Amino acid sequence: MYENRIDGQLLRTFGLLIILIACTAKFAQSAARTQQSSVSTPDITGSWERARDASIPPQPQPPLKASYLKEWQAQAQAAREASAKGQPIAERVVMCLPEGMPGMMGGPFPMEILQSKGQVTIIQEAYTQVRRILLDRQQKPIDDVEPGFYGYSIGHWDGGTLIVDTIGIREDVRYQNVPHSKDMHIKERISFGPNGVLRDEITIEDPAVLEKPWTFTYGYRRMPDYQLLEYICEDNREYADEKGLQKIRLDPPAR
Amino acid sequence: MILARQVRYVFFGLTMLGMTGPALAHHSFAVYDHTRTLNLKGTVTRWQWSNPHAYLDIDVRDADGAVKHYTLEGTSINMLQRVGWRSNMIKAGDQVKAVAAPLLSGEPGGLLLEITLSNGEKRELPVPAANTFKRTPEPER
Repeated sequence: MYENRIDGQLLRTFGLLIILIACTAKFAQSAARTQQSSVSTPDITGSWERARDASIPPQPQPPLKASYLKEWQAQAQAAREASAKGQPIAERVVMCLPEGMPGMMGGPFPMEILQSKGQVTIIQEAYTQVRRILLDRQQKPIDDVEPGFYGYSIGHWDGGTLIVDTIGIREDVRYQNVPHSKDMHIKERISFGPNGVLRDEITIEDPAVLEKPWTFTYGYRRMPDYQLLEYICEDNREYADEKGLQKIRLDPPAR
Repeated sequence: MILARQVRYVFFGLTMLGMTGPALAHHSFAVYDHTRTLNLKGTVTRWQWSNPHAYLDIDVRDADGAVKHYTLEGTSINMLQRVGWRSNMIKAGDQVKAVAAPLLSGEPGGLLLEITLSNGEKRELPVPAANTFKRTPEPER
């Protein structure tokens, strides 16, 4: 009897000790993580606008495969000629359609970045475009993502750099009219560069269309006192005619 | 003075961005004549405060008393707000003067570059690359 009681006590004490050690380890681990993230995760919350800086390289031409390049150049040439003749080809924004990704990262209106638990949200003022970067998650298989304007973005902080992977951009949502396949990945490295400039180094990976990944960088400067304004595209009197050319409605909308 | 500085700042910003590539030229202004301006004086029939661009509709009476209607495109109302514009600065019935780059098509419309409000206040619009539109001293109509 007595021995059994001793055994029981020992067992209970041992059990408590194990729980205590486990809790302490867990606490230390999470404290270390908190400390690490508070040290290394930069504060990028706030309003930003596109900025030029010596640290931002000029954008190279998209390294399209030969057949796509020829078509893209021909379209660009046609657009230039149409503009020179005073009759520009209507861009999708004329139809009140937003740029989507990665065009929304290029402004020209201010954007707001919000850091919250498990998510970084980016709002572009023009067309009130919103993208959500979900942190510390696995990327989905491409076929599980319904294609859209902003796709599905996951990211994680690697020291001072937010590394983002985006998939699921609709094939008709084209950046600078560059074609892409449904398998395109948009990789981003968002970090602070020199002169307080926030950089977004964007790499388009799409072996079906590109000879090699296409990398370019946008720079942004903080706007300390700026709150984003609302932006609704409504009653646009620019329109695309039956030939896809940009025209202006001279009669005011009826209302 | 502060406003003028803000306008210059936005101008500068937009011109700078305009040079970085076609992706930033949201909406083309190639439909407008860059070589001359219209100087219009008339009555506002509608001030459309909207994005992507604002629109000013005015009736202009010629020497014979005939009325011609003009539609003038402005910039984004967000750009206008950033340099101090408000929706209630202009209303139907106001007498205004407008400087505009005319439509190349010859239709009665243009790109609004500058307006003199009914209270006499003159305001420029933060048109991207505004300096590429040549102002010409055409007679007022």
